[in-house]
Amino acid sequence: MRLWLAPAAWIALLCALAALLPVMTPLFSWVEPGTDNLIYTRDSFYFLLQSHIWLVAVSATIGTLVAVSAGIFVTRPAGSDFLPLVSQIASIGQTVPPVAVLALAVPAMGFGEKPTLFALVLYGLLPILRNTLAGLGGINPAVLEAAKGMGMSSAHVLFKVELPLAGRVILAGIRTSVTINIATAAIGSTIGARTLGDPVIAGLVNGNTAYVLQGAILIGLLALATDSLFEATERAWARAFSI
Amino acid sequence: MIELKGVTRRFGDVVAVDNIDLTIETGEVCVLVGSSGCGKSTTLRMINRLLPRTSGEILVDGEDINKADPEALRLNMGYAIQSTGLFPHWTVARNIGVVPDLLKWPSRKRDERVNELLTLLGLDPATDAHKYPHQLSGGQAQRVGVARALAGDPNILLMDEPFGALDAITRENLQQEMLRIQRQLNKTTVFVTHDIDEALKLATRIAVMDQGRIIQHDTPEAILRRPASAFVENLIGKGDRGLKLLALRTVGDLMERYPQPRRPEPYSNGVNEADSLRVALSVMVWQNSAELPVFSEAGEEIGTVKREQLLQGGA
Amino acid sequence: MWLLDLGVVQPNRIVSGTGYGLYAATGWLGAGVVSSLLVAAVVLATKPIHNRFWMLALLLTTALMAQPLLLEVFALRKLPEDSEYARIGIGAGFWCLAFFLALMLLETLGQLKASRRLQLSAVLLIVAGWWFCATREGLSSLSLIREYANRADQFTQALAIHLSLSLGAVAISLVLAFGLALAMVRRERLRRPLLGLVSFMQTIPSLALFGLLIAPLGALSAAFPFLQTLGIRGIGWAPAMLALIAYSLLPIMRNTYVALMEVPEPVVDAGRGMGMSERQIFVQVKLPLALPVIIEGVRITTIQAIGLTAVAALIGAGGFGTFIFQGLGQAAMDLVLLGALPTVFLALAADAILSALKFQGASR
Repeated sequence: MRLWLAPAAWIALLCALAALLPVMTPLFSWVEPGTDNLIYTRDSFYFLLQSHIWLVAVSATIGTLVAVSAGIFVTRPAGSDFLPLVSQIASIGQTVPPVAVLALAVPAMGFGEKPTLFALVLYGLLPILRNTLAGLGGINPAVLEAAKGMGMSSAHVLFKVELPLAGRVILAGIRTSVTINIATAAIGSTIGARTLGDPVIAGLVNGNTAYVLQGAILIGLLALATDSLFEATERAWARAFSI
Repeated sequence: MIELKGVTRRFGDVVAVDNIDLTIETGEVCVLVGSSGCGKSTTLRMINRLLPRTSGEILVDGEDINKADPEALRLNMGYAIQSTGLFPHWTVARNIGVVPDLLKWPSRKRDERVNELLTLLGLDPATDAHKYPHQLSGGQAQRVGVARALAGDPNILLMDEPFGALDAITRENLQQEMLRIQRQLNKTTVFVTHDIDEALKLATRIAVMDQGRIIQHDTPEAILRRPASAFVENLIGKGDRGLKLLALRTVGDLMERYPQPRRPEPYSNGVNEADSLRVALSVMVWQNSAELPVFSEAGEEIGTVKREQLLQGGA
Repeated sequence: MWLLDLGVVQPNRIVSGTGYGLYAATGWLGAGVVSSLLVAAVVLATKPIHNRFWMLALLLTTALMAQPLLLEVFALRKLPEDSEYARIGIGAGFWCLAFFLALMLLETLGQLKASRRLQLSAVLLIVAGWWFCATREGLSSLSLIREYANRADQFTQALAIHLSLSLGAVAISLVLAFGLALAMVRRERLRRPLLGLVSFMQTIPSLALFGLLIAPLGALSAAFPFLQTLGIRGIGWAPAMLALIAYSLLPIMRNTYVALMEVPEPVVDAGRGMGMSERQIFVQVKLPLALPVIIEGVRITTIQAIGLTAVAALIGAGGFGTFIFQGLGQAAMDLVLLGALPTVFLALAADAILSALKFQGASR
């Protein structure tokens, strides 16, 4: 239970600040004296938070499904021809900066949530794919040999042996992917997605540091809360399988 | 019974196993011995179809193994390997219980079987069952590996250098246990090793392999007495062939029995009935004695063994 | 590939134009050449012909080199001559073709087990081909090139700023991270807090970190006017540099630490046994053995810094990100490309150079 205390605390702080920032005017008037527009009001912080999380969650789900199934496919005998190519694509693809992927999605798909989601999925699946390959490839061959030799079917080997053993590495890949995507989704504000990046961008455009701060604080907290949630999940996983 | 008829396996242009014929009778321990790369592991892995054969026939109890479902085939063949291949994310008990689970045994029967095997292999069901593989010593891990191979009560046992990575003392212990377990269970066993002493010790019959072929297939004694080629002669070592022969027979085979067991004299040094003749010779050389008393399992003196007998009839 | 637009004719830089497919854009001849080339590639890839992978590699490299010529043909055929502002844009079909060819080349080079030198020369040939095409008169109506021509000076400046910001940050954090890693090797106690702090910073999204630095740096420069003369303000290069350094620390620090710790103990013992001093052991044994892993950390960091510098344009740091965000603001897609493509190119180039260095370090 104590495992989940830290993420719970971060989440509570995030929610509390999302609710309380609008009434913290005195604080921001100290940061940005001489203006009346101290609090970002175009959308509620809750709405932006929710929309931000939604974008990241959807892209992580799609990315995980695609990347893990692709990783499994190319490590089976049927797909092994594609293994070198896919692992090369995964590593070269990660060289491309996420902001460039985001920018390049616009000429292809226009402005809004759609290109943001597309960029998040596309970029987000690379670390997961890479870790899936690393996790499945890193299993001691003797373990797989023994599993087969004892008469396990290939599905059995995959679900009972390979995935539990590779799970932690795959989870780490999802964590990397989500961390990157929280940051990229924030930048998605510049191409018309509604995220916590909105106040930051609006503040930068209008020279209003208070807006910038409000957005930055919430984005930072969201990232930290998510990260500690993953940390706890990884520990729980390790505990469950005692690795 | 396992029959290999004209079995060949090629990897690309390399012939790993070259047209071999081998029959392994039910209940015997057949040891495949040879240097690394001689095709012994490949042969073993063709028997449970981890490797497909290029040509030839492999029959188990008269049935071609290619006709059976590979998984069903393997469930009836225990398999133990040098690096154990224990599942690192499962406890010892779950590792051993994996084949019973695959065979869908009821959980009570499985748990009983796991406990029985832990005891059989000298592990403690109370403490060791819940350990994870990384918490075991090399010898313990290998015991678990053997227990796992035995768990489904298979008719056939395939073992690929199971003791190869262990230190000499642990290996010796496990070999003794193997012999004991084999006397108890009588599994048809195919055992791969590069260690000729291990082969001589465990085998009912030995198949010496070199460059993908079987050079000689015979009992340990016959191999020692009549090596088929210079290669085999080299493998068994010319110099201590006599000692190796002595090691094959027990004191009980050669001793002179008293009509009645006697109470041993206090502090007398002797050998046990089950000791090998090699041990008896060693004790004689050490004590510079021409005759040794022989004790039974129960500790009674049941006869004597003489140096002349050893030298004349031992080898 | 035959259905997607190869190119677009735009009346001016903002209005989205009309797209043309491969056949419409380049006529029978162009479509025929491209189609037969693809068929030839597929045949070579599947039929067991002697030396087919060499032929395929040659074919694909040439095809990629010459690919911009398609756009030139397109411009020649479809660009209205009377309109001064008319321009041609690159369509999805062109990119897909390039991507597909590059993928096949990658796979072919893999099949050939090509050496790094060979891979590099293929890439250089293709870059040279594109460069050659881009400087020709025939492509001057390409919108990307027009955008460039309008901003040639700004482009050079952006390149300079982008490189100096990202490479500067990497250089500074290399020194810092190396020192911190050594401290962690010496004092085990420091490991957890240091790694914890640095990975904490790595977790914070770039936009947030840039934003969070504005207020304190702004306050600092307001309080100490001499900082302003140095150019240190809430926005601009100063917060960008700080954030970039913070992000760059983790990969180098972690890799250096791990690499130094994982030098096999027997090797170090052997060095000691032969009478090497601790310093000699470090310089002659540990460091060379750890070098490839350290360079890998620098590689990750550099790629990351190049990408983050683009984001830093949002707080006025300059660099290629300026074009990206200006372009997004004006809905001028070619300006976006003018920022995004060089960023990608820089990252890929950094990856290639540092990977080559790593292999050199490893093979020595």
